[in-house]
Amino acid sequence: MPISSAVVLAAGEGARLRPLTKHRPKPMLPAATKPILEHVFDALVDADITEITVVVGYGRTHVQSHFGSTYRGASIDYVVQDKQLGSGHALLEAEPEVSGPQLVLNGDQLVEQRLIEDVHEAHDSDSIATLGLVRDGDIANYGGVIFEDDENISEIVERPHDDRSYHLNAGVYAFESEIFDYLRGPEPQFNEYSLVDGIANAIAADETVRGVTSDGFWYDATYPWDLLEVTETLLGNTDGVESTVSTDAQIHESATIVEPVVISTDCVIGPGSVVGPNVALGENVTVGANAVVENSVVDADTRIGANATLIDGVTGHGVQIGAGSTMVGGPGDVRVGDRIHENERLGAVLADRVRDGGGVTYAPGTVVGSDAVITAGTAVSGTVDDETEVQ
Amino acid sequence: MCGIVGYVGTSNGVDAVDVVLDGLSSLEYRGYDSAGLAVPTPSVRVHKTEGELSALENTVPRDELEGALTGIGHTRWSTHGPPSDVNAHPHRDEADRVAVVHNGIIENYQRLRDDLVDAGVTFQSETDTEVVPQLIGRYLDRGAAPEEAFRLAIDQLEGSYAIAAVFDGSETVYAARQDSPLVVGLGETGTYLASDVPAFVEHTDRVCYLEDGDFVRLTADDAVVTDAEGNSVDRPIETVAWDPEDAEKSGYDHYMLKEIHEQPKALRQCLRGRIDDLDGAVDLEDLADLDHEGPVQFVACGTSYHAALFGAERLREAGVRAQAFLASEYASDRVPIDDETLVVGVTQSGETADTLRALREAARAGATTLAVTNTVASSAARECDHTLYIRAGPEIGVAATKTFASQQLALALLAFTLGDGPTREELEALRDIPGQVRTVLETTDARAIAEEYVDADAYFFIGRGYHYPVALEGALKMKEITYRHAEGFAAGELKHGPLALVTEDTPVFAVVTGDDETARKTIGNVKEVEARDAPVVAITDGESDVTRYADHVLEIPAVGDLGGSVLANVQLQLVAYWVANLLGRSIDKPRNLAKSVTVE
Repeated sequence: MPISSAVVLAAGEGARLRPLTKHRPKPMLPAATKPILEHVFDALVDADITEITVVVGYGRTHVQSHFGSTYRGASIDYVVQDKQLGSGHALLEAEPEVSGPQLVLNGDQLVEQRLIEDVHEAHDSDSIATLGLVRDGDIANYGGVIFEDDENISEIVERPHDDRSYHLNAGVYAFESEIFDYLRGPEPQFNEYSLVDGIANAIAADETVRGVTSDGFWYDATYPWDLLEVTETLLGNTDGVESTVSTDAQIHESATIVEPVVISTDCVIGPGSVVGPNVALGENVTVGANAVVENSVVDADTRIGANATLIDGVTGHGVQIGAGSTMVGGPGDVRVGDRIHENERLGAVLADRVRDGGGVTYAPGTVVGSDAVITAGTAVSGTVDDETEVQ
Repeated sequence: MCGIVGYVGTSNGVDAVDVVLDGLSSLEYRGYDSAGLAVPTPSVRVHKTEGELSALENTVPRDELEGALTGIGHTRWSTHGPPSDVNAHPHRDEADRVAVVHNGIIENYQRLRDDLVDAGVTFQSETDTEVVPQLIGRYLDRGAAPEEAFRLAIDQLEGSYAIAAVFDGSETVYAARQDSPLVVGLGETGTYLASDVPAFVEHTDRVCYLEDGDFVRLTADDAVVTDAEGNSVDRPIETVAWDPEDAEKSGYDHYMLKEIHEQPKALRQCLRGRIDDLDGAVDLEDLADLDHEGPVQFVACGTSYHAALFGAERLREAGVRAQAFLASEYASDRVPIDDETLVVGVTQSGETADTLRALREAARAGATTLAVTNTVASSAARECDHTLYIRAGPEIGVAATKTFASQQLALALLAFTLGDGPTREELEALRDIPGQVRTVLETTDARAIAEEYVDADAYFFIGRGYHYPVALEGALKMKEITYRHAEGFAAGELKHGPLALVTEDTPVFAVVTGDDETARKTIGNVKEVEARDAPVVAITDGESDVTRYADHVLEIPAVGDLGGSVLANVQLQLVAYWVANLLGRSIDKPRNLAKSVTVE
């Protein structure tokens, strides 16, 4: 019997994407203009999944209010994980709500329908679990599996650091309901129940855990600037996102749109402005007269002032970029926590509701926290904390 | 103030009891102190019970009724006779040949009842409705066929009604409408009937709205509409765009909280296509034919009245003579109306009896009428000369939340259309509101305030100008869902009496935005309250120094009067919600209240 239901794990914040995740969880950050989670749902619906259970937690009202109780004909049920005790714990929270075999996915990673279908087809009830695998990738930062006979998985390791030959665990699973017993025991590590530990428990108990390699698209946005690359990839991929301008958007006749772009509903594009290529404008964004926006992800309700320049920019909700402000574009060095990421292609990240008074210059790699206020004429660089005022 | 449903299915259709129970559950917002259903074949069987719908679901013997093709159902909100099993609908005649459900009030029921009692009929209930099946029974006694008996009985009635009846052994539903809403749904596997579309929207989106005086005969594959004389009437078939998902809670504990969080989306829908930013104008396509110069009068009830007060003030600011009236007082107030007047009825459901009555009075006096409503093809929309839709989407919680915000915005748009157009800044302010509501939802401390004051003796709300209706609305929300004493006052009125009620156990919520003369006067009133040791909760954008006199602050973005009133109200909705939640109240279905009040 083909699996028709899926559990999507979307309870985590995604701390490395701060300050963009100050108010909403990573699954709700935009890839092009749609939330990452919406791309995941699209892939599931295209793979004929009709019942979706979403485990929500951090910022859950954003998820619930965006999707409601159905998505493209599939029913959506919500399960709340109050404490972030790991991916295995998140799945356990869904146990009372589901029955029979399930597909399980992360709600904060982009997966192509093909990857889901490959797992779907490869799984049969003789195996307790089937894992979707990708041959290449940044295995050291994700999960690896030893997949010797191209059928069964003999070992699963989180962030492996030895030089054995691993396949990347793409985070797309098919599980029989017996998996829940292995998720519960034997002992949680660091007080977290991880999905990988649960699978390792099953392997240790001689259960059959299968793998299937796929060349389906898989992408994870780890840091804020990754949203730019994800958007460019989606806009450049025939299976990604089509270049579109909403019929509800108002575009001045003298504005220039350089495709590919996504211009959402209620946007206003002023006279003489140039928008694109590789630009995603969320709902109700204004691009002022003669402004230039290139290779940027601009989230809903953001106002870009007249004559402003935005290259390689990422904005959150309701950002106000004043007249004549300039984001010259990457590459630049970006500080995240204690680590410096060198030469990243990033103009600047302006988190939710950053306001600049106009004539502000952003050095490449600048990260401005939510609700920060930047006085007109200032030059900004480095990291600006939430709710600070820059003069 | 009740909900009715009916269904006749094809032999491969859905189980009639399922359709009726699901339909009633979608109509629960219309009233819920008792519920019941009837199936007519092989013989009339009625199941009904006091209490919520779940009580009915538990008493219906599903196995006995399995395979039923036809059924009618009812949720009741008492107007005549207390809620009880016997007073619940459906009602029957003495010989169990007919079962009837009814929404509305039969004004001449006492006389009809007396006549029937004189003729030897024994009544089971205290309801006005029971006269209908008993009358039908009398006509059946005299040899009338079911449809004829139904028509003869309806012909005797005065008042408002949507009535549906089923007859022993017949897979047909008969229905009639006068001043109470009734809509027919035409599906693949049967024909539906209900007070409101959500009752069957999961089965079909092809609907046909009945008009006053219409009769309809439902069979599995057809609905034949006729007038009182039996002449066939053509009612257009429309397609409704309601998504059944909107009627589910999507992970929220209550519809009310869900609907509070839906406000950014609802407000975007309200504004969509109505602001021409490049030309700097408001463009209301709904009102393209409305060219009005004269005075404007608003009529409305409850929350919609508060929106109307706000709208009237917006219009006055735009240079239009405008006033707001309580719809239920409009006729008795002898408000002067002439053919220069535009009378605007604000009603979420479009079925509010008091508002419809006031609009009819106005139309009779020669005024032009405009309905501002959320419900497409509702009675208000069909009866008025013009309609402005607020586009909030379905609202299930009895306490209005998102529809109030959408009414505020729609009325602001109306003011810019009838009066002075908007400045660039005002247009931008309008476009910013949906996102700012999201900001309030992300950052609110309303829950902590609720925890602090859940045990207060009373709650007072004060505001001036645009914030006066917000104060009234804040108090109404608090009353409706917490059952606690709450009052809203114009801030300046406090010292003219209500200040005597203020103690250290009565928190005062003060709405203050900006730092103009109005704000400073309200701050003066806040000081009066503070001097009486009452805790002060300021809902403010932080522009003024009101925070110095407040014990707590509920912050909103600094956006001016227009947006400020919308945002401040969202904070007060959340305070009321969390107080009610902490008190364990029935938030979506508060006692004694119904969503759409279709009786006067």
